[in-house]
Order: sequence, then structure tokens, then C-alpha cells
Amino acid sequence: MSITFAATPRTASPAPPRARGRRGRSARRTLTGWAFAAPATLIVVGLSIFPAVWAFFISRTKWNGIAPAVDVGWRNYQRIAEDSDAAAAAQHTLVLTLLFVPGSILLGILIAVALNQRIALIGFYRTCIFVPYVASAAATGILASFVFNPQFGAANEALRRLGLPTQQFLESPREALLVICVIALWGEVGFTAVVYLAALQDIPQELVEAAVVDGAGRWRVFRHITLPELRPVTVFTAIWQTITAMQLFDLIFTTTRGGPLNSTQTVVYYIYELAFQTQRLGYGAAVAYLLFAVTMLLTIGVIWYSRRSGSEAF
Amino acid sequence: MTIARRNLAAAAAAVLFLGACTGGSGDDDGKDAAAGYDPAAAVTLTWWTGQTSEAETVAEKLAEDYHAAHPNVTIKTSAGAPTTDDLLTKLSAGFAGGSYPDISYAFGNWAGDLGASGKTQDLTAYVAEPSFGWSEIPAAAREVATANGKVIGVPALVDNLALIYNKKLFDDAGLAYPTDSWSWDDFRAAAKKLTHPATNTYGTAYSVSGSEDTTWHLWPLLWQHGGKILDGTKPAFNSDAGVAALETLRAMAVDDKSMYLDQTDEKYGPLFNSGHVAMMLSGPWSLLDIKGAKLSYGVSVLPGYNGDHQTVSGPDLWVLFNHDDANRAGAARDFIKWLTSAQTDAKWNLAVGNLPLRSTEKDTPEFAAYVKEYPGGQKFFENLANAKQARPTAAGYEVLSRNVGDAIAKVLQGAATPQAALDDAAKKSADALEN
Repeated sequence: MSITFAATPRTASPAPPRARGRRGRSARRTLTGWAFAAPATLIVVGLSIFPAVWAFFISRTKWNGIAPAVDVGWRNYQRIAEDSDAAAAAQHTLVLTLLFVPGSILLGILIAVALNQRIALIGFYRTCIFVPYVASAAATGILASFVFNPQFGAANEALRRLGLPTQQFLESPREALLVICVIALWGEVGFTAVVYLAALQDIPQELVEAAVVDGAGRWRVFRHITLPELRPVTVFTAIWQTITAMQLFDLIFTTTRGGPLNSTQTVVYYIYELAFQTQRLGYGAAVAYLLFAVTMLLTIGVIWYSRRSGSEAF
Repeated sequence: MTIARRNLAAAAAAVLFLGACTGGSGDDDGKDAAAGYDPAAAVTLTWWTGQTSEAETVAEKLAEDYHAAHPNVTIKTSAGAPTTDDLLTKLSAGFAGGSYPDISYAFGNWAGDLGASGKTQDLTAYVAEPSFGWSEIPAAAREVATANGKVIGVPALVDNLALIYNKKLFDDAGLAYPTDSWSWDDFRAAAKKLTHPATNTYGTAYSVSGSEDTTWHLWPLLWQHGGKILDGTKPAFNSDAGVAALETLRAMAVDDKSMYLDQTDEKYGPLFNSGHVAMMLSGPWSLLDIKGAKLSYGVSVLPGYNGDHQTVSGPDLWVLFNHDDANRAGAARDFIKWLTSAQTDAKWNLAVGNLPLRSTEKDTPEFAAYVKEYPGGQKFFENLANAKQARPTAAGYEVLSRNVGDAIAKVLQGAATPQAALDDAAKKSADALEN
């Protein structure tokens, strides 16, 4: 499900004077407007809203995609509360989000600050950081499963050279989720870095100069000028990365398929498993709707908080 | 305001429309789909083979042969979907859109769901005609083709699990090759002796991905101990028999560490082929890769419990669909009868490296050629007689399979006891099985 961000106008524009033309003219203008908007509207309604609404009706049935669906009311939703697998999946998603979001923001800021220096070959470094983000997560996953292969992978080879004990990585129920998080960070940090880099270059130079004139050192400039200026962007990256973390699928599919022992089964992967592996489309749709509701509530919460504290990210 | 009201009306219309979509029912009216069939009528059939590359070419050739012999029957042949797994998705989309094929390949474990769709033909009376030779097809496969008491298709492929072993590793260890009278204790002892951590060599291997591949390897053990998968529509695999069956595997994986645990379904085959796994419980489909690896191998029936060596079979089906057109239904039946006849099947299954569908094919020259090319083929063919029970075709088996697969994976990785894990799987599956 894609989320569209609409910019809020900072100042209300004065209402245009009411057109006094004949009715036909105003109708034609409305029609012209709709003619421009229609293709996009059709695509959004047909490919996003209609399936989403239909999925809601599926979520109230017991359906395997083949036999006729049986209406079960809210039973699928009630069942989620008793489903230990769903609870475990939610927990994995939560852990992943709590590690991934702050991780990608902190790393993103660090890398952006580093890439904001005027040094030779800076364009090359910037490209290098961004390349993993452009690569598809599927490719990243396949690559990573080679690197983290317990027997033949480069990661264990490095540990061996350093004299450290080798690890099972993706084949250990305790380590797999952490390794997934590391791989996801590697792939996604390019995005936050680029966003922060743009934000850093947007910071008015006179603010920094004024602070320096007032005797602030580099750390204090960073602490009192740079960080506050980055706050609106941080609200955006926090929401964006939370959604990314909660919807992480392709990486898990190409590395562990939810294993070992379901230790990397996140909510999205669980939905896939329900709907497309065990053909429980009704129950899968119910879990998907719950995930949608949670994502929506989180997003609204963060936006509300940031508006209240005077930020203008949205 | 008006816009809001208009949106409301549109939403209400969508609701009504969607309600109509989900409330549909099967159109099984109890009438024979081919009643009044005219064999001379011109018909066009759609055939989804579920095959890729080489096998698909053979299928297209067969369809042309059939058309040459019956010019009034045109068969539109295609794979149907990029992989056989995707066929089910294609079929369900086809049911919703009203454009499904006349004949489609299907995995045996889809039979219950497809039968419940109400879109399949009822072939019970048709296959009972003596000329069809229904009894020449292995019993377990016939059972899988029967969903909810109705025959919905004809077996397309039969196979079974047997013990494939690497002769060289046995020779190196100075052990005698497995025999058809081996018990699971013999199997365990040999596996232990064949395991060498230093060279990364394991006695045997087991998939712990939690998929059907994990699950169905347990069923022969369960059956040998006298257990059942289902009792009516209730899970029964967590019986003493099921616990004993899983304990056999657990002892090897956890106590002996003689079992390579494959987190995917894809590694143990190649590891066997490269000489890192001495014994593998697998089916005739493995023979092609083993042949490619130029491995000296042998095949014996599965180890047994108390002399019971029964195995599990994973038959696939040709499912026939009803389009309320007697001529199409009748023509589809005749084509499938021809395709699965001993004469045609020898050109089809044996030619692409599968076991023959009918017992009567064992005397054909094609079977002799098959056994010559795949020396283990003879044993797999004989082992069909040990496939005495079939996996349930009940709707909800997919869910049960997933839960049992997770339970096995947990036990073999030392995270649960067999009793606790199977009880938990039974509890989780109960709901999906009831209707």
C-alpha cells in the first residue's frame, strides 16, 4: 500500500472570486478538471482503493480462493487475539522496527555529515552510499545470504581471521533477526543519508556563521543549530523508515523465508504465508487490515505530535 | 456536500457488488457434465499442463497427435503458469473471472480445495467403466484423485519416498548397504557411523523449512507406527504413534547429530550429490540430478517399524473442469483417458523421467529404457506397492501441513519435545479443518 504525502500550504491563499459565468461554463470547467484528473483517479480507485475495500470484505470470510467464501463476521479478527504465531510475528516486527528506525536515522545523519564535507571524490563517495538503496532488496538478500553463509561465507571468514568464534547467522534462531536488520540497514541507509544530506545543505549558512561568531565550537554548532534544523526531516524519515520496517518482505523472502523456527517471520511475511502458502485468504486479509490500522495510527500519531510541537514536515 | 453524498452512494454500490462477489456458490447440480455428449462434435479444449521446457514440448506433441487422430478436437496446450505452484493461483483467478481450462495439472494436496470449488467434473462413474482400467493406477493415487467421495481427476504422476544411498560412503566406512528389511534402528546406527564432523559428512538429512517437504517425510513413520493423520476431521497425528515417529527422527538429529538439518528444501539434494550426505529419503525426481552428478548410488525401500515398510506417495492430478457443455466435458474425458492409457503414458511419464502411471506399463520397451537410464527406477516402481495410505484431501490440509512442519522443525532443532510440539500443531490445525 503506498502512502501519498500531501504538502500543507503554509499560508491560506485568498479564495478566488466566485465565477459569475453561465452554468454551462462552470460545468465545462468542472468537466475539464475531471478529464485531467480522471486517468489518475481511475488508477488510484481501480488499483488501490477498490482492492483495499474488497480485501476488507474478504477479511470477514473464510475463503481459500477456490471454494466459495463463507461469511464469518468478525471471527477472523477475534482469532488474531488468540493466535500465538501472530503475536510472535508482531513481536519480531516490533524488534525489527525498534532496531531499524533509530539505526537508519543515526547512521543516516552520521554519513550525511561525513558526505557534506568538501573533500576530493565526494561525488564518488555519495554514489557509493546510495547504490545499495537502488539495488533491489531481493538482490541484496541473495548477496547477503552468500556473505552470511555459516560454512562458506565471507562474514565467518573475517571472524576466523580475527580469531573470533564463527556464527550461524541466518541459520540461528537467535541471530537471524539481527542479521536481517543489519542487511536492511545496509540497503536502506543510503536513502536516509541522501535525505539528510539535502537537509544539511538547506541549513542557512548565516545561522552557522552567527553561532561561530558567538563562539560556538563545531560540536555546539551541530548540537544547537544542525540537529534542530534537521527535526522536520527526522519526522519524515522516522515515519518512512517505520513503514519500510513494518512492510519488510522481499529481504526476508530471499534470505530466510521466515525461518529458522519462524524467528524472522514478521507480520507481512506471516500474511504472505497465510494467504498464499496455506490459502487462508480471509484470515490473511484480517491480519493485513490490522497491520494497516496500526501503521495508520502510528503515522497519524507522529504527524499529530510533530504538528503540535510546531514542526512542518507534513 | 453533494460530492460527499455521491461518494457515499458509490461506496454503497461497491459494497453491494462485493457482497455479490463473495456470496457465490458452486454450480454443482448433480447432473453428469457429459450427459448427451456427441463424440463427433467439433470442440476446442484448453489444457494447462503445469510443465516447463522439455516436458511441455512433449505435451504439445501429444496434443498434436491426438488432434491428428481426432480432427474435431482442437487442444490449446500451454503450461498455464510459470511454475506448477502458480497454477493454483491462476485457477482461483480463473474461477473468479469465469475463464478456467478444461483440464489442468494439479498437485495432489489441492484436490480437496479444487473439489470444493464446485467447478470440477464428477468422474466417479466414468472411471468405473472397465475399459478405463482405474485399478491399474496405484491405490494411493486413486485416493488422492477422490475429493469428498467424488473422483475429480485422473492421476497424472505417481511417486513415492524410498531410501537412496551413496555406495562409496558405505564402502569407505566398511558398512553393508541398506536392505529392504532395514529397521529404523539399523538406519540410525548406520547414519551415526557415517557421520564425520571433520569432513562435514552426515549420515542423513532432513528439511526443517517447515514446508510440506518437512511434513510428508514424517507420514510414513507415523503410518508404520499405526497412527493416522486425521480422525474424521480432527487432527490425530499427535497420538502415541506420532510421538514415537517424531522421536525416531529427534534422536538422530539431536542426540546423534547424524542428520543434516536443511533450513531450505533445496540444499540436501545437492549435498547428497556431492557426497556430504550418505542416505537421503527422497523420490524418483532425485534420480535425474544424481545421474548428472555421476554418483554410484543404490535405492532400497524405506526403513520399517515392526516389518512395516509403507511409504508415502505424492501423486499429481489431471483435474477436469465443468463448463456446462457436454461435448467439451466428454471430449476432455476421452482425451485424458487416452493420455493416461498405458500406451500413451509410456510416451509421456517414462519419456520425461517419471514413474509409469499404470502397473501394465512394466512390460513396455519404454519402461526397460527408463530402468536402464535410471537404475533406481525399478525399486521406486516396486515401492509403489508400499504406498498404502494417502495424505488427506480435506480442505485445510495445507494449514495442518504447515503446523506439523513447524513442529518437526522445532523438535529436530531441540527446541521442543515431540509430544508438546505435535499437541500444539494439532490444536492450531483443528480450526482450519472444521467447516
